[in-house]
Amino acid sequence: MEQDAQLVQQCLQGDGSAWEELVRRHSRRIYNICYRFTGNRTEAEDLSQDVFLRVYRTLGSYRSAHGGFATWMTSVTRNLLIDHYRRTKRDRVTDSLDDAMPVVETKESSGRRPDEQALLVELSSQVQAALTHLSPELREAVILRDLQQLEYSEIQAVLAVPEGTVKSRINRGRIELARILQQMGVRPS
Amino acid sequence: MTWTCEQTELRLTEYLDGLLSADEQHSFDVHVNSCERCSPVVRDVTHVVRNLHLLPELEAPPRLVYNILDRTLGPRETVTGWAAVLAFLRGIASPKFAYGSLSVAATFLMLITASGFNWKKPKLADLAPASIYRNTNRQVHLAYARGTKYVSDLRVVYEIQSRLRQDNELPTGNENTVPESSPKQPGTTDGAPPATPRQQNRANDSHSHLQVLAEELPFLSGKLDFVPSALLGVWASGKLSSK
Repeated sequence: MEQDAQLVQQCLQGDGSAWEELVRRHSRRIYNICYRFTGNRTEAEDLSQDVFLRVYRTLGSYRSAHGGFATWMTSVTRNLLIDHYRRTKRDRVTDSLDDAMPVVETKESSGRRPDEQALLVELSSQVQAALTHLSPELREAVILRDLQQLEYSEIQAVLAVPEGTVKSRINRGRIELARILQQMGVRPS
Repeated sequence: MTWTCEQTELRLTEYLDGLLSADEQHSFDVHVNSCERCSPVVRDVTHVVRNLHLLPELEAPPRLVYNILDRTLGPRETVTGWAAVLAFLRGIASPKFAYGSLSVAATFLMLITASGFNWKKPKLADLAPASIYRNTNRQVHLAYARGTKYVSDLRVVYEIQSRLRQDNELPTGNENTVPESSPKQPGTTDGAPPATPRQQNRANDSHSHLQVLAEELPFLSGKLDFVPSALLGVWASGKLSSK
C-alpha cells in the first residue's frame, strides 16, 4: 500500500515508469472485477481500460489518508461498472455466446487432475452465468466479498453505504445466487 | 435464546463469515438442524460461497497493459536512423549477449577446424561446400582409424600386462614373505611356521632325518655326557671331506 502511494506521487511528478508499474500491479485485479461483473471478456477489457483512463485523469484527487490506493481504484471501477450497467441496460443481451463459453484458466488450474479441471471449468461457467443474473447492487457486493476477498470495511468504503447495508447485500446476493444455481440444476456436492 | 427463520436468513452471512457470538452460533445451529425450511437454504448458500472461493483469478489479456499505456501515456515513440542503431547496440551490450556470441563463435571455429580448414594457409576454395564435405569426410575417417588403432593398442598392452602378472605371481609369491634382515641358514629354522604345505613337508622330512640321526648318534642329542674327542674329530673331518 505504501508502495502504491509512493508510485502515485511519482506519477503526479510526471514519472511514466511509475504509472506503468501501477498499471502492471493492478490491471489483473481490475480486469477480474470487470469480467465477473459483465461476464464478457471483450467488455471487461474495454472497461478495464476505461477504469485506468479515469484513474489516470483523477489521480490528483487521490488522498492516501482516506484509504488505500487499491480501495480507491476499486471504488472507481465500481462506479464505472454501474454507469456501464445503466447505459447498456436496454440493449443488453443476457445470454451471449461469450457467457456460454467456459474461460480457459491456465495458471491457477495447472496441477489439477483433468477431471477436476473439467469440473472447475464447468462450475466456473455456471457460477459466472448465475452472477450475471443478479441485480448489480447484489452482484458487486458478492464479487467484492467472495471473489476479491475484501473486508466489510473496505466494501463499505467502495460502495459508500453503511456496514449493515453491505452485510445485507452480501447476504441477499448469496441467497439469490444459490436460488439461481438451483434453478440452473446445479446441486450441492 | 430462541432463533427464528427470519434471523437465520438475515444473519446467514455473519454465520458463514464466523462473526456470530458463541451463543448466537449455537442457537443458529440448533434452529437450522431442526428447521426444514432453513436447512436447505444454509446448505445451498454454503455451497455457493465455497464455489465462489474456488473460482480462480483470470489472467488479463497480454495486450491490456499496452493498450492502457497507449491510451494514458500516448503511443510509444518509434526510434529511427542512428538513434535506432545506437539503441540496438545499447541493447546488445550486455554480458548475456556477449557470452552467447562467444559461444556461437567458438562453436563455429570448432566446426570449421574439424572440417579440415587450414588456418595457416587459408584458401577460399576450402570453404566451398564440396571441399568442406571432402575434408570433413577425411577427418572423420582419420579420427575413426586413430580411435580403432588406439583401442587395439590398449588391448595388446593389457594382454601383455596380464601375462606378466600371471608369470610373476606363481614363483615369487612366497619367497617375498621372508624378511631380508634375518636370512635363514640351511638346515635351520627361525621358529616361524611354514607358509605352504610344500615347506611343511620339507620341514617334516628334516625333522624325521634329525630324529634318525639322533637315534643313530646319541651323543649329538646330549644323551651321553662323555664323547670321545677323537671320534668327534673323525666325524667332523668326514663331514667336511664329504662336502
